[in-house]
Amino acid sequence: MKVTVLQENLTRGLSAVSRAVSPRSTLPVLANVLIATDEGRLRLSATNLEMGITCWIGAKIEEEGSTTVPARMFADLVNTMPDNQVHLNLDTRTQTLHIQSGASKNDVKGIDAQEFPPMPVPDFDNAINISVADFKEMIQQVAFAASTDEARPVLMGVLVSVDKDTVTMAAADGYRLSVRKSTLSAVAPSPVTAIIPARALSELARIASDGEQQVQMVMPKGRGQVVFRVKDAELVSQLIDGTFPDYQQIIPRSHKSRTLVSTASLLKACKQAEIFAREGSNIVRLNIKNSGELQPGEVEISAHSEETGKNETLVEATVDGIPLLIAFNVKFLREVLEVIKTPNVAIETSAPNAPGVIKPVGDEHFLHVIMPMHLG
Amino acid sequence: MSTILHLDLDAFFCAVEELHDPSLTGKPFAVGGRPEERGVVASCSYAARAQGVRSAMPMGRALRQCPELIIVPPQRSRYSHMSQQVMDRLHNLAPLVEQISIDEAFVDISDLCPDSNISSRLKVESLDTFESVAAGIGRKIQRQIMDELGLPCSVGIASNKLVAKIATETGKKGARGSSAPAALTVIEAGREAEFLSPLPVSMLWGVGPKTEEKLSSLGIHTIGQLATAGAENLAALFGENGRQMWHHARGIDERPVSPEHTAKSISQETTFSRDISDDKTLERTLKELSVEVGKNLRREKLAGTTIKIKLRWPDFTTLTRQATLPAATDLDEEIFQTALGLLRKTREPGAPLRLVGVGVSGLGAPARQMELWGAQTEKQRKIQSVIDDLQARFGDSIIKKGR
Repeated sequence: MKVTVLQENLTRGLSAVSRAVSPRSTLPVLANVLIATDEGRLRLSATNLEMGITCWIGAKIEEEGSTTVPARMFADLVNTMPDNQVHLNLDTRTQTLHIQSGASKNDVKGIDAQEFPPMPVPDFDNAINISVADFKEMIQQVAFAASTDEARPVLMGVLVSVDKDTVTMAAADGYRLSVRKSTLSAVAPSPVTAIIPARALSELARIASDGEQQVQMVMPKGRGQVVFRVKDAELVSQLIDGTFPDYQQIIPRSHKSRTLVSTASLLKACKQAEIFAREGSNIVRLNIKNSGELQPGEVEISAHSEETGKNETLVEATVDGIPLLIAFNVKFLREVLEVIKTPNVAIETSAPNAPGVIKPVGDEHFLHVIMPMHLG
Repeated sequence: MSTILHLDLDAFFCAVEELHDPSLTGKPFAVGGRPEERGVVASCSYAARAQGVRSAMPMGRALRQCPELIIVPPQRSRYSHMSQQVMDRLHNLAPLVEQISIDEAFVDISDLCPDSNISSRLKVESLDTFESVAAGIGRKIQRQIMDELGLPCSVGIASNKLVAKIATETGKKGARGSSAPAALTVIEAGREAEFLSPLPVSMLWGVGPKTEEKLSSLGIHTIGQLATAGAENLAALFGENGRQMWHHARGIDERPVSPEHTAKSISQETTFSRDISDDKTLERTLKELSVEVGKNLRREKLAGTTIKIKLRWPDFTTLTRQATLPAATDLDEEIFQTALGLLRKTREPGAPLRLVGVGVSGLGAPARQMELWGAQTEKQRKIQSVIDDLQARFGDSIIKKGR
């Protein structure tokens, strides 16, 4: 293999695949990045066997070939290259990659590309097409609610379902639930339901840049995998086996109290409350006070810690229904407010021990449920 | 004017063991680890004390001192259960209770006593002098703890914590023989300095062996001599500590009885009498400690987010590891599972340990995060509260979770 690439392209490609590298695997080749010539471009791939990322970059190819080199080391090296042109020259016999840039000459010991796990080459003919901007927003609004607890693998995923022209994502960590719908530009060839690791979706959102039009999604039959393709990159992920718990059943159908409040004001109040709450049990108390005939309602947001002190903020609100004191994990409330795009947000609930439903006002596509903290 | 009662259970661990095995009564025995396991005496019976055995003595030496000494392995959960029973009775006596160790506490009984100054002035009219009322309260609590729990204790009563504690100690020292002292000492307000005066300086808080030596070289041996040394002189020699010492020597101590409600963490640890390398035994100990911590949390109506383990290797290096939970907990099982995860991450299977500990910090009101699909945890919580209730009434061994 003998190729010449631009340093900035190589850096971008290595950064895209870096999160799939598995530096502490028992399989040494998983700590490496695959470098291969591929139809006039250079292909970079990394995988940790659960998730794999491939990225294609432009290159001038003089001689075809492939190898793998330690990903972290290679990226560090490329970042410090003195010249914009990087020449890669592989000694096939010793699997030594000679890297030259300006006056800098390096020999890096690689592992034969044969040892690198093959990446799937799926057929994208029947792919589901989703606008990148929509898909990224969906991931941003849903993936954070997934669990990080390995004891509950199903909840570490996002339930993605496609039916006709509607795609729905749902994630829950057992305490909160995020559901977001979106409309496809074309009807999907067949209905699909799968649990995709939240981490893989977050990575996809990271590598799909905003200018791109569509992301294509396919689930090759019988492989338990999903493959996404965006411009110049592909991401493959194992699907999570199991049954996602029925979330429809826990979304309240009615409420006794509805509070309308400015998203930004509530978010700011939560961030302040969190400074105190995080020292203790993470509790923020929302004292929702009724609107009278003529005066407006308000929400008193407060937090206190045994060790550091307390905080209180009054936020103006329109309150319909009963007054209520309800407590939430402040992090949960802050995280959902951070992904709500509308200027106003509604909090619907029925009792201090009933779920709180958070909805952006004027956007029917998003819904978030947080279970309250029970004050003993 | 306050009145403080200090209570110290007599040879507590031994007294509890005698309740479980009455054949031990009157015999020289010691609670602690076996000599071949580097054990030390944690507590010794009065019959053993009469033969020169002392607490904290290596068990080997104790055996040489008293060859017929019976060694009883410690039963931690028994002691903490009995201790709690005693503390409950103190809480019933008066609301302000400060527990300072498993077998010792202060109780503020000011509201139960006539003002000692006034009563001494009005002695003619009132038969209820301070001394007789205070002694009555002391005797009553001693009798109650003996009758209901079978435990002897010594009591000191004075106008402050310092003098009350020293009163208990002098009472215990004054009693000789092979049975529990069950002493009661009341120091009337105004006579604190007089009471302390002949006692050795080492009985004061904050006078350790080093300070004692330094004072001794200045010709100061008794608390009375210390009181006449002058605040400024002592401050020059020992800094702010010296001034404090002078106040104490004159029987002045302003610290209130402060119930520990501002605990920043709740923890339990156990030092093994020999290094333990068996995974099963260690994990069982971890479980027992977690249960104890959980129970303490629930009793204090607290819950915490950070679970910590403490490990000491045979070479005495000690390390702690912690994990933070998404929501505060006061549940034994959740504490144990987190602690177990930390232990398994930190320790190679089979590696020997001298000590393990479990603690919970990040404490707050026991608010708990409700779950979306939460029926299971709610069930666990109900079971836990039934277990707590049963154990509080009938002792820890009445019910245990299966493994």
